[in-house]
Order: sequence, then structure tokens, then C-alpha cells
Amino acid sequence: MADIRLTVLDPAGLHQRPAAQVVRTAARFQSQITLHVGDRSADVKSLIALLGMTIRPLAEITLTADGPDAADALAALLEELGQSVELSPGSSERPPLN
Amino acid sequence: MVGLVLVSHSLMIAEGLREMAAQVAGNDVPIATAGGTEDGRLGTSAPRIAAAIRATLDAGADGTLILLDLGSAGLSLELALEEFGPAERSRLLVSEAPLVEGAILAAVQASIGAALAEVASAADGAAAMAKMPKD
Repeated sequence: MADIRLTVLDPAGLHQRPAAQVVRTAARFQSQITLHVGDRSADVKSLIALLGMTIRPLAEITLTADGPDAADALAALLEELGQSVELSPGSSERPPLN
Repeated sequence: MVGLVLVSHSLMIAEGLREMAAQVAGNDVPIATAGGTEDGRLGTSAPRIAAAIRATLDAGADGTLILLDLGSAGLSLELALEEFGPAERSRLLVSEAPLVEGAILAAVQASIGAALAEVASAADGAAAMAKMPKD
């Protein structure tokens, strides 16, 4: 299991286009990838689940990945999100598997 | 890759939706449109729908999900489907999903290489999608 904590910077939040890119990137990996906001969570490989989360600007989100390519998956998602997010303090760009 | 056909009474709705779907799904998903009538009025046309379906099959789509707006679009589609034999019909599915949301969800699902049944299932999720933020 690996995780990264992010702050959403995009003034529109995680809206349709980046959400779709995230789904397409996540689909390349075997790992189960989940996005958490507060006490809610969504399967990152499902666009309808992601759009249902309503991720607003400045929201703190956590991405967790569980599987053989978990670290690679999170690194790819971080790259895909680019300027839309920033790593929260203390969160590693390339989290160690634990 | 599964393709999509977008059927609307309005050419502009169909074309605008194709633009939105391509933006989220990239250009690999074959998307064809049948908007309006042959003479440029609001309405649907069985020959235009059949041509759009044919275009996706000819583009090498593994299957095609057809999404439509309302009313007589279904009647025109019924006529259009008569143009296709059993082998081609087996590669076609008609979605009951609302057109806009269904097309976006289907396009993204198709873009990740999902099979026709999975793309159709993703589109079906559109019916329960909330319009307004829940929190």
C-alpha cells in the first residue's frame, strides 16, 4: 500500500477533464487505486465515482494504491495531475511501499 | 476500441458533444455523429444514423455504443438498424443513458480499452449522476 496526500490547486477543482485523465492513467495499472476526501472515497478507475466526489479547489485529497505497481501508479497520477495539485507537506513524491 | 455514435435532433448538439467527448477521451475512440436531418433541419434521419454507425464499424471499432436524445430519435434508429445484418448487429448496442452524461462516461470507458458491455454499463451510470454538488 502506498499513498500520497495532495492539495487541489485548480480553481475549478478536480473537474471533468482532469478527472477523465486521472481515470485513463489509473487504468494502466493493476493496483487498486482509491481517492479519499474527508470520510468519502472513490475508485479512481471509475469516472462516475470520481465526478460524484465533487472535489473543490483547495480540497485535501489522499490517493492510495494497493498492488504490485502501487508506487508507479501514484507517480504517474501525480505527473498527470501536474499543476492541478501540490504535494501536501510531509508527503513523499515517490512513497516507499510498506 | 469501442466506438460511439451520437444521435441528436440537433447537428450542433451532436457535434458539440463529440468535441466534449474527444476532449476527455482523446482521439483514439471512434466517435461518429448523426445530428439533424439531411436538409439541415432539427430532426433525426435514419440514413444519417446508419451512415454514422457504418463509419464507426469501418473505422475498425470492436463494437459501437449508440446514444440518442429523445422522441423520434428512437424510431429513426430502429429504421437505421435494419440496414445491418446479424453479424454487424451483434457489434452494436443501444444505450438508454441520457445523451450528454452517457457519452462522456462511455467515451472515457472506451478510451481505456473496455469491451462494449463495459462501455454500455459505464454510460448507464449516467442516469443516477447528481447535477449539483452533494456537499
